[in-house]
Amino acid sequence: MTRLPADIQSQLAAAAPGGVEYSSTTTQGVVTGWCGLASNEDLLAVGKMLHQLGARLAMISALQPPAPEEEEEDSDEGANDAAKPVKEIPKTFGGTPIDGKSYELDYHFVLGGDFLTVIAYVPAGGSIPSLTPLFRAADWPEREIMENYSLIVRDHPDPRRLFLDPAIDAAVLERLIPFSTLVNAASTKALWDKVLAAKGGAS
Amino acid sequence: MTAIEAAKTYTIPVGPLHVALEEPMYFHVDIEGETVRDVDIRAGHVHRGVEYLTTKRSIYQNVVLTERICALCSNSHPETYVMACEQIAGLEIPLRAAYLRVVAAEIKRIASHLFNIGILAHLTGYDTLFMYAMQVREIMQDVKETLFGNRMDIGAMCIGGVRYDLDAEMKTYLSAALDKLAPEVAGLADTYRRNHTILRRSRGVGLLTKEQAIDCATVGPVARACGLAYDVRVDAPYAAYDHLKVDVPTLVDGDVWSRAMIRVSEIGASIQLLRDCLRDLPDGPTRLPDRPDIPAGRAMGKCEAPRGELVYFLKTNGADEPERVKWRVPSFPNWDALRFMLRGAKIADIAIIVNSIDPCVSCTER
Repeated sequence: MTRLPADIQSQLAAAAPGGVEYSSTTTQGVVTGWCGLASNEDLLAVGKMLHQLGARLAMISALQPPAPEEEEEDSDEGANDAAKPVKEIPKTFGGTPIDGKSYELDYHFVLGGDFLTVIAYVPAGGSIPSLTPLFRAADWPEREIMENYSLIVRDHPDPRRLFLDPAIDAAVLERLIPFSTLVNAASTKALWDKVLAAKGGAS
Repeated sequence: MTAIEAAKTYTIPVGPLHVALEEPMYFHVDIEGETVRDVDIRAGHVHRGVEYLTTKRSIYQNVVLTERICALCSNSHPETYVMACEQIAGLEIPLRAAYLRVVAAEIKRIASHLFNIGILAHLTGYDTLFMYAMQVREIMQDVKETLFGNRMDIGAMCIGGVRYDLDAEMKTYLSAALDKLAPEVAGLADTYRRNHTILRRSRGVGLLTKEQAIDCATVGPVARACGLAYDVRVDAPYAAYDHLKVDVPTLVDGDVWSRAMIRVSEIGASIQLLRDCLRDLPDGPTRLPDRPDIPAGRAMGKCEAPRGELVYFLKTNGADEPERVKWRVPSFPNWDALRFMLRGAKIADIAIIVNSIDPCVSCTER
């Protein structure tokens, strides 16, 4: 099986006119490459190029990078509140705001034994093209992303729920779920009523 | 339309709870007569949200949590997770620790493969062979209990090395256990190669071509049984595998029997690897002296779990908890291959074919 070619950076740059940010590390002879895309519109073209190279899509990770924490400010009483500069939201090199609501999608490809992760960013409310027509293995991961986040994967051939029942609310990973609910330890009103009834009336 | 005409095709449910399935999975099977025409796989019955939970636990606690994702490949999860942590922190583990990681992984592989081929015998109705395979597997269960103090979750991994050691007594014990195991495995291999009952139910059943295997991105014994010679231990060596000779058996027929025989051959290869490790085990520490800090960064880890390539993605931001941990187990892409294997199969063979990918539902759904 072919490994990651030496000129992968120039091949990626040629496939993605929007611009790429490439870096790589080598551990025990295995290359791990990271390729950030400035524009998520280039994803399909990069996918096609990697498909021709014989890459296998191993996994897709989705996450919402948190916004950087606000620095604590000196609470001088005499400070002029009006002169407070407006905080600038940091951005990725392609211009997607890192505001805790944007999505980072990491497409992990394997060539031989080497890794190449293509990173695409999508702002909140945005969408991303599906890779399933190119890579069969993108089917389940993309369905899982759609049920976990309110991110739309365009042109997915079968956009049904994968693991979560349709009765469960959408975008579970974008909500705060209390620990008691997570471990299913919350008791219901019905249970409480039953306890009171067993004790011989609520009064 | 008469009743006879109307009854040409049916849709039958198999699962989620079914006597022949070890774990819950729902198959929506279209059949014509006795033959399967199409299959739709519906998952989600043991989805537990472990991925979310990993971001609520500290980086060190996750070594314990990831071991509990699955039972049969429990060691592979923390092994790959700590590899990703070590990559972010730029740590190089001691060579003795690298060898001990191989020892833990190969012991788990032997026990996992023996379980799967045992279940194949059980599903063919040959329960004597099933019990015999499980009895042979008990040698490895005893090894795990003696070496690690536990029969399934062995708790061998930590960031920067391993949490166990082999002294002279343990090395002698493991060596003796392998001497006891090897002839039993050779006997089992012979039975699976020649036994009429096994051959009749598994030869030419559940076919997957090499092209389909590539298309579905299948990994592990399922891929190697149809000629795809990909094994992470050889193609992307980790731990001490670059110091060892790993035998990667492949077959070309892509049927249930080939997948079973790959596993049988791999048990033999693992026994050899364990013997090589016992011979070459270098002296030195088993882990780095301090609990290392994991800075901000991102890393990929992968290892050859008993079911194939296991992939981990870890992103940290300098906080105690990781920003994201994501993993893809070998069963995940292998489910897709089942659609091809089941098309044209007989209803009676569904359970045998499903078992031939050695599916792990709790791993898949997390």
